[in-house]
Amino acid sequence: MDQVPDPEELIEAAIQWHFDPRTGSRFWLERARTLDFDPRRDVRTFADLRLFPNVANELRDIRVEDLIPTGYGPKADVVGVFESGGTTGAPKRVVLLADWMNCLMTHQMQVMDERGDPRDVDWLSLGPSGPHLFGEIATWQARLRGGMKFSIDMDPRWVKKCLRDGRTEEADRYAEHLIDQGVFVLETQDIGIMMTTPPLLERIARRDELVSLINEKLQLIIWGGAQMDADTRDLFRTEIFPEVRLCGTYGSTMILGTATERTGLTENDPMIFDPFSPYISFSVVDPVTGEDVAYGERGQVVMNHISKSMLLPNNLERDVATRIQPLPRQLGDSVADVTPVAVFENEAVIEGVY
Amino acid sequence: MSELLQLEALGSSGPYRTRNRLTISDLTGTPVAELSLVPRLFVQRSLAALHLAHTVPADERARVIAQAGQAFATGIIGGLSIEEYQHIVSRVSGMPISVVRTATEAITHSAAEAYRSAVRARPHGSVHDWRDPLTRRGDAVWTRRARVLAVHAPGNEPAVHTQWLEALALGYRVAVRPSQREPFTPHRLITALREAGFGTGHVVLLPTDHSVADDIIRAADRAMVYGGQQVVNKYGNDNTVLSQGPGRSKILLTDDDWQPHLDTIVDSVSALGGMACINATAVFVEGDPTPVAEAIAERLAAIPSLPPDDDKAVLPTQPLAVAKATERYLLDHAGNATAHLGGDGIVDDLGDGSAVMRPAVFQVDRSDAPQTGIELAFPCVWVAPWSRAEDIQPLKNTLVLTVINGDEALIDRLVDEPTISNVYIGDHPTHWMRPGIPHDGYLAEFLMRTKAMIRD
Repeated sequence: MDQVPDPEELIEAAIQWHFDPRTGSRFWLERARTLDFDPRRDVRTFADLRLFPNVANELRDIRVEDLIPTGYGPKADVVGVFESGGTTGAPKRVVLLADWMNCLMTHQMQVMDERGDPRDVDWLSLGPSGPHLFGEIATWQARLRGGMKFSIDMDPRWVKKCLRDGRTEEADRYAEHLIDQGVFVLETQDIGIMMTTPPLLERIARRDELVSLINEKLQLIIWGGAQMDADTRDLFRTEIFPEVRLCGTYGSTMILGTATERTGLTENDPMIFDPFSPYISFSVVDPVTGEDVAYGERGQVVMNHISKSMLLPNNLERDVATRIQPLPRQLGDSVADVTPVAVFENEAVIEGVY
Repeated sequence: MSELLQLEALGSSGPYRTRNRLTISDLTGTPVAELSLVPRLFVQRSLAALHLAHTVPADERARVIAQAGQAFATGIIGGLSIEEYQHIVSRVSGMPISVVRTATEAITHSAAEAYRSAVRARPHGSVHDWRDPLTRRGDAVWTRRARVLAVHAPGNEPAVHTQWLEALALGYRVAVRPSQREPFTPHRLITALREAGFGTGHVVLLPTDHSVADDIIRAADRAMVYGGQQVVNKYGNDNTVLSQGPGRSKILLTDDDWQPHLDTIVDSVSALGGMACINATAVFVEGDPTPVAEAIAERLAAIPSLPPDDDKAVLPTQPLAVAKATERYLLDHAGNATAHLGGDGIVDDLGDGSAVMRPAVFQVDRSDAPQTGIELAFPCVWVAPWSRAEDIQPLKNTLVLTVINGDEALIDRLVDEPTISNVYIGDHPTHWMRPGIPHDGYLAEFLMRTKAMIRD
């Protein structure tokens, strides 16, 4: 798995594996019957992945055993079951197998080495653990880089529920409670790397003493789980955490991993994320026509996960991004300046003079 | 395109240009400027700076605000002369240029009077300063309730920005979130205030998109929010937020002798382009409303359709699509009202993507007809019958009520009615305003309190 395969070879092999009655998961073998094409015959290229329907919603009520390819045998090495945030109703569930986690971690260690990220420092994960992938990734990364991981758990579903119900004050109190707990760790332990979310980072920025402590102590802040715009990134880099490197990630439960902020971006560059090609790949499409938008244009993000452990193609995410030229030999595109699907200010308000 | 005027945010450490910029276009859709929209983190840090700033002494505040008001109307600010500024505001907001010019003068005048206006609200039973010898035997000191005021500003009329100048005069630090339709006025005013000597940590301009708007309010101690009925519903129960909703200003004519007052009536409907909360939305007539509606319609019909930057323009202009949407809304909601003007539509297409909003005069048959509460941003008036038997019920929920020929008993009742903010008797149009006379109560009632003090 250290060798990154040729993209089309991966697609070919994965499709054969997932739709072969001897190796495929019960989910895909059953689902194949209702497809109006034969994946093993018709899907060979990246473009062919668009033939697949978006099955993400079906992951809300599927038995997770049915997601594991039978080719792994009865004793597949399962790292864990992970769930989406639950923004749009019941959560979507995926199973993460050990071979995929090892593959992902090998890649991420390479990325971190290339970036010059520290080894042998302790980590603080200030963000979701529980059914979410966020904390699990921190656990593995810390271990592989020779650090101990401290953890403050956050339940993002509760926060969303509070906000949806208009209980902003409760969400505020909860977030402050999380940071209060993080302070105990940061004050007493040798934390070198913190993983957290942009909203928590914004709250941290309100506490001058904590900001000073982080500037003194930390070498790296990895953020993810929500989006950050480039203007905010600059404020963090230049005014708030000038002594700490900031690296962003853009991920989804539905790709069983994250894309990493491209290194070496200047303040004039958009905030670009490169996926772990060819296993994870992105397109940026016009939400109405489904066609790719031009490079530099904004569109909705489509994600694919293709590995031996899982196939989740053609998943239209609720994110908007700029389509960016891929790196050499990359499958699909890179994305930049990711934002949630726009909620437009009500421009149709007519009555009244203001 | 690269030469577009840049309206930067005015943060606590100076002007700030973001990547996230909103293009502001004129009525024909031609881009005019780019407005830097700041993220939440910037809002948070700017408000934190306002909380930390020290209050400027009153004498200095009054002087600087007056000086800024002068510069606003005469200087080159942000690269724009006053004529260029007025032209842009007119071309972007559709407000007649003569109205913009008058508003400019009002801003200068109000700035000169901001301190005097603000302190007129001080209770008789209080002193300005704890050093006043009266406090030696015990007295009240008039003090700020809080320190930082957020303003969600509207874009309908430049002179509304004179209101928060009073807060600044009282020693509040102020954060203004401008309207995305017309951010030019607060940008110019705050730039002028800074050039005249206000520190950047005392008054900031924070253009944001909708998702961050509430953060400004939450991070401030008090807030003023302009908007429609939904704003009033949202913040009505929050006593730290002063919501400025629809004005629903009205005129009451209590006998047949209304003809000598027609100028006042027509002026109340059509001054300021009919775009303000102090324009009359409804006219209540004791007796037959038909001749009144006909007379108003005849006068308003004579107003020519002109582009907003024409010196003689009186009517507002909007992008054609907005004008048509407003027309549809009006005609959909007119119901069984009788049209005296505008029944076939109010849109006069100028052929360049914009349209003049022609006046509308509708007559309803009952004083409690729901149409009388429909306030639209052009000269649009509902004429309704009224009788003494109905008493003041139909006249409630009113920013300004002008009463022609009212008797003393009736006026007593109107002045006593809590939901009527201002009562004008006789030939005074609903849009009459003066610095130092409250617009909807003194702003200082919301910003200030008294504190007991006794000292040796």
